[in-house]
Formats: sequence, C-alpha cells, structure tokens
Amino acid sequence: MRCERCGKELTNRIIKINGVTYCDNCARLMGYDRYLRDPADLMGNPFAPLDQIASSLLQMNELDFGNSTLKCPKCGMTLREFENEGRVGCIECYNTFNDNIVREMFKQQGNSEYAGRLPNQSADTGASSQPVIREKLTGKVSEPAVSAPKAEAPEPKEEMPVEEKKTERGSLTIDQLKKADLGMLSDEDLEKGIKLAAEVEEYILASKLRDELKGRKEGGING
Amino acid sequence: MAEWYMNEGKDNDVVLSTKACIVRNIKGYNFLPRLDDKECQSLLDTVDKVIDKDIYMGGCAASMDKDTVIRLIRLQVLGREGSQMVNPQRKAFYYNNDSSLSIAVGSGEHITVRAQAAGHDISVYKKAEKEAIELEKKLDIAFSENYGFLTSNVRLAGTGLKILYTVALPAISKTEGGIAALTQRVGQYEWTIYPFAERGELSESNVYIIASVNTLGVTEDEVLRRGEMLITDVIKAERACREEIVTSKKLQTEDIYGRSYGNLRYGSLITRSEAIEALEWLRLYHEYDDSGEIKCSWNTINKLTMDILWEPAAPNRKTPGSFTNSQKIRAQGIRTILKGAERNENN
Repeated sequence: MRCERCGKELTNRIIKINGVTYCDNCARLMGYDRYLRDPADLMGNPFAPLDQIASSLLQMNELDFGNSTLKCPKCGMTLREFENEGRVGCIECYNTFNDNIVREMFKQQGNSEYAGRLPNQSADTGASSQPVIREKLTGKVSEPAVSAPKAEAPEPKEEMPVEEKKTERGSLTIDQLKKADLGMLSDEDLEKGIKLAAEVEEYILASKLRDELKGRKEGGING
Repeated sequence: MAEWYMNEGKDNDVVLSTKACIVRNIKGYNFLPRLDDKECQSLLDTVDKVIDKDIYMGGCAASMDKDTVIRLIRLQVLGREGSQMVNPQRKAFYYNNDSSLSIAVGSGEHITVRAQAAGHDISVYKKAEKEAIELEKKLDIAFSENYGFLTSNVRLAGTGLKILYTVALPAISKTEGGIAALTQRVGQYEWTIYPFAERGELSESNVYIIASVNTLGVTEDEVLRRGEMLITDVIKAERACREEIVTSKKLQTEDIYGRSYGNLRYGSLITRSEAIEALEWLRLYHEYDDSGEIKCSWNTINKLTMDILWEPAAPNRKTPGSFTNSQKIRAQGIRTILKGAERNENN
C-alpha cells in the first residue's frame, strides 16, 4: 500500500484519516501528529482517555503552528500566508493546501463541488457538466440525474474520450495509472503518466507519479 | 466614447445596472500575488495577443493618460480609486466602444471579463460568457475537475462568476426594518446585499449592490435563475414601499421632491451626499408627479446618480479651496444635464 499524498510505499504504519491513507511524514506535514502516537503507549495509563483529551487540547496551538510550516513546492506560499490573505499563489497550492481550501469553501459556500460549465462550452450545458467531466476523465458513464430536465441534456459529442485518445499513443490510461503499483512502472511510463495526468487535471495522481520518479532518481527508499 | 448607462434599461426606476463578471487564470503563470514583474509582463503580452482589436481598445494601464483613466472610471470599467492605481504597469484594460464589455488583466485575477448594462438586464451574462469562451479557446485556462476554474481568491473558484445588481432603494431604506427584512430575503437566495459605500460621503446613500455568492455547488444557470427571482422581489418590494410612503404622506413627499429638484437644478455648490439625497427623493416621487412641471426622465435621474456615485476619487492632498471648487464643478455639471433634459422634454 502507498501513501495517497506522496505515493511512497507504506512499510511500518498505516495512518488513515478521513478515508485517506498517509505515510508518517505526510501525516506529520498535514498536521495530524496526534495520529502518529502508538496506541500501545496509552495501554498502561488508566487515565488514557482523559490524558488524550487534555493533550489534544494542548496540542491545538502546536497543531496550528505545525500547519503553518506547510509550503507550496511551486510558488513557496505557506499555509499561514494563505490563511492570512485568503488567496493562493498558484495552481499547485490547490494540492498543497487542499484540506484548508476545502474547509474555506465549505465555510463560505456550504459546498466544494463544482457544478458549472466546462471550458469552451456555454452554460446551457452546465447543468450536466459535472457528470460529463467525470465521463471524459474516467470513461465511466454516470447515471443521469433524476431531476435533470431532459430537454437541457446535451447531445453526446462525437468526440473520443480522453482516455481512448491516450491509449492510442501507446501509453497507460488514467484508470490504469490510478490502479497501477507505481513501483512496477518504468521511468518512461511514469514520465508519460505525469504528462497525461497533468493534461487531464489529475494533479494528485501527477504528484504521486512525480514523487515516485523523483524518489528513483534520488536513489531513495522507493528507488 | 458612448455611455452604456444612457441606454433605456428595464425596471430602471429601481435597478441602476446589471453586471456580470467572470474571472479566469492562465495555466503556467503563478497567480497574481506570486507573479513577479517579468512574468506579469509576459502575462500581459500573452493576453494582449488574443484580444480582438477590432472590438476592443485600450491596453496597459501605465500608458493611459489621465483623461482616459477618468473616463473609464465614469464608465465603471475602473473602480473609483482608478486615478490612484497602484502598479499600473502590471495591469491592462480593454473595452469596447460603449464600454459595456471590458477585459481587465492583472486586477485580482489574471483576467476579469465584465459585461454591464443599464437597468435590469440579465443578458449581460451571455455577453460576458461569450467573451470568456473566446478567451478559453485561445488560452490555456486553469481548470480542475473538482474545483472548476481555479482562482487566486478561493471564494471565486468554481464558476468564477459574479452577478451584481446596483439598486436604488430609497423607499425600502426609509421604511422601518426594510433593509433588515431585505437582507434576510437576499440571504434566503444565498446572495448578499451591501451598501454602495460603507464609508465616506456616500455611506448614507440608499444605493445597494445585490451580488451572487456561490461559485461552487451551483450551475451558472441556477445563479442566474435565483438572481432573477430575487431582483423581481426587490423591485416589487421597493415599488410597494414607494406607494405606501407617497399615499400616506403625499404632501410632504411632494414638497421634498420639489425642493430636491430645485437644489439640483439651481444650486451653485453641492456635495456628493447632498446630490445623492436629492436624487433619491426625485426617484421616490417621480412616478407620482402628475404636475408636469418637473421635466426629467428616468434616464436623466439614473445618469446623474451614476455620475455622482462613480465620480473619480479626489487626490489625497487637497489644495486650499479645492473642496469648494469640486462642489461648484459638480453643481454646474448637474445643472447642465437637467437644463438639457428640460429642453429635450419641451421639444
């Protein structure tokens, strides 16, 4: 199993937070230090739950401080700067500060799901644009929304899905890349995969592939 | 340069203007807070190459002369503080012949497309969208499956769309609890309302902006639909309040209406707040004036209101007598417009 943030193979411990699997390092970077403590440490302490609550409260400030060191690898913006200014510095910040951005979106709008139109398309097709995006990216045909008026549903374009286009190039598809054990892919596949993932806006996948490639080049543990 | 707001708009007794703003960013460039001067110049050049010069004029703000800047403020392409613009070399503005359609580069986000029309006119969205689509075809726009169009300000991420109605609500404002009730109503549509000016001379004005909030979880069509329902409610409520005020205090309202017109028509010195207050009374009673003595159309009232609201901000350093001088110039301008309106009505 691999960390869903950096793509590193998990060896000793699996930290699962909100359904996302992290390695020790990423969990620490994301400010989830409290999850890193070994449950066995608490066994000998009869007041463990109380201790846990107290230490969690005490850790709240430290947690904020820890988060503020999170920095966008592309533009150098820190989490603290984002929180102060309410603005991000580049597209990569959306990956780096994903949790905080989603929280901010929820706070402001009660939603973080995009439902608008696709680039180059009129808003007339906007009502069903989200399923269209997903179809385009995953090749899966989603069920039409029950409430969507039929008259507004756009005619399917006679355009080859993104994935099929890519397969013709002899590379792996997005779906295959998502499911693949990255350790089994060649450097060439990874490079092609990064380009493909970036093309279709799969930034999380692109960053996983990039980290895998970088790890190999640096002769790291995944190399 | 023609003035877009001189067109006869629908429901212009209440709605001064309708605006649609769409923001976009270009892939490969950091967002503005993290864009250095060299990259910013490259961004300006990239956008300049794709702007249709048959439709748009304008360019880098640093190369605009003072008169153009003042004209663009009056036409609401630039904000009131445009005359004291910071880093004009990092900004560009393009506008069509009546300034109803404009593209700002380097103002908040990489690109802001703005369409504006007099009165209640939601077709501005389609105009802005058409231009946004043209740019999306020509440029590599930052877009994500999850968050839609990516923006520096995460509150705009998603559709990157804002619809704004500028409304004059003298009667709701004069009705006890009117604005509070309206604010609640606006909130139910997940929109927002705020005064045209929070501070300064116009903070007491009864002009408000009603703006969309959501850019995620809703389609553009849904935003427009809610906006149309909301503005219809607002127009209805304002007209009902006017009816109530005029019928309950007919003589007093008529008296203030006449005096207000007199101040505007014959005053030699007038402050912005005085002018706006007088225009509010004209607006409130105009529909009920059956004497035929005051000759002034809705278009004239709206033009004067817009001119006063978007009067370019004065320089910070005031010279002796500059305050009186600005009042004199303002009063002269108002007199000229009202005199012209009277002449037109008589012909």
